[in-house]
Amino acid sequence: MRRFLRENSLWIVFLVLFLAALSGQAIAGHAEFNALADQHGSPHMSLARYVVSSDYGSAVMENWQSEYLQFTLMILLTVWLLQKGSPESKPLDQAGGESDQKQKVGAYAQQNSPRWAKVSGIRRTLYENSLVIVMGTFWLGTWLAQSVTGVVQYNSERLDHHQDPLAWSSYITSANFWQNTLQNWQSEFLAVGSMAILSVYLRQRGSPESKPVGAPHESTGVTG
Amino acid sequence: MRPKPLLCACLLALGVAGCGTAGRERDAAAVAERFHAALETRDGQAACTELNPETASKLEQQEKKPCEEAILTLELPKGASVADTRVYETSAFAQLAEGGADFLDLSSSGWWVSAAGCQLSAPGQPYDCELED
Repeated sequence: MRRFLRENSLWIVFLVLFLAALSGQAIAGHAEFNALADQHGSPHMSLARYVVSSDYGSAVMENWQSEYLQFTLMILLTVWLLQKGSPESKPLDQAGGESDQKQKVGAYAQQNSPRWAKVSGIRRTLYENSLVIVMGTFWLGTWLAQSVTGVVQYNSERLDHHQDPLAWSSYITSANFWQNTLQNWQSEFLAVGSMAILSVYLRQRGSPESKPVGAPHESTGVTG
Repeated sequence: MRPKPLLCACLLALGVAGCGTAGRERDAAAVAERFHAALETRDGQAACTELNPETASKLEQQEKKPCEEAILTLELPKGASVADTRVYETSAFAQLAEGGADFLDLSSSGWWVSAAGCQLSAPGQPYDCELED
């Protein structure tokens, strides 16, 4: 058990942090929702009802979709785009999908390689791109969920102002939807871009997200 | 990696979008139709029981009459039926078959009418309501 925890501590700690933050968001959001309900003379909502409300759903989904977009883009763009000196980049002469030999697929697969790396055809193509396919699907799924929860929340506000409700197809071209989407995207792009540049010059001893402390600024694709 | 987050997201979206909406739409439509039916029979008291208390209070202040008398002086659709209802969280919109619309709010005891006799003056603009909170 101890060994399992030690060897899996990264995802376990992040799962605990995620659940704590998600619960905290629900409790704080519920309190704010009911405070606003008091101001408008509306009835209170239970916590159980609040966590399936559009108010909570859209707040959660708009953040999830932007995180999955960030990782999808990072995985995909770092196949071809380079950053000299950054541990986030491959070495400067290795842009692209790389050779079968380097990727250890097909005839170059090792005995302990995943089964779908050893075969050819559609299964290998799928496996070669499985990380982007799954992360990209999560992104599109959560973005769709953001639009579905967002239109409910937006229409609730429109009705409060005696405006007629918008159809989903109109909502996804509305300023509200794109403002909620882009405010999250811009922060993800900023974080990834600044990490790519700052990691050229700055270090964190022991972290695989950083180069070794003594590595020169020009060395690319090296992690410590 | 298993697609659990996606599943959660879809379930959450479907839950928010679909769960119980049809029943809530029927309830809101029934309140709007009871309100207009009461106006048709000139039962001001019955009409006022379907009103949001804030709306009723504002009407009494404007007309300087009890709600059950004041409500009958307004030019509101009488005996109107609801053609389409949309519910979003604690707000509802009832499109009347005869034209115009009502807005409803959810209270702890059910739906009540917060604005009625509403007409769209221009596309994209708020409705002009004969009765509103």
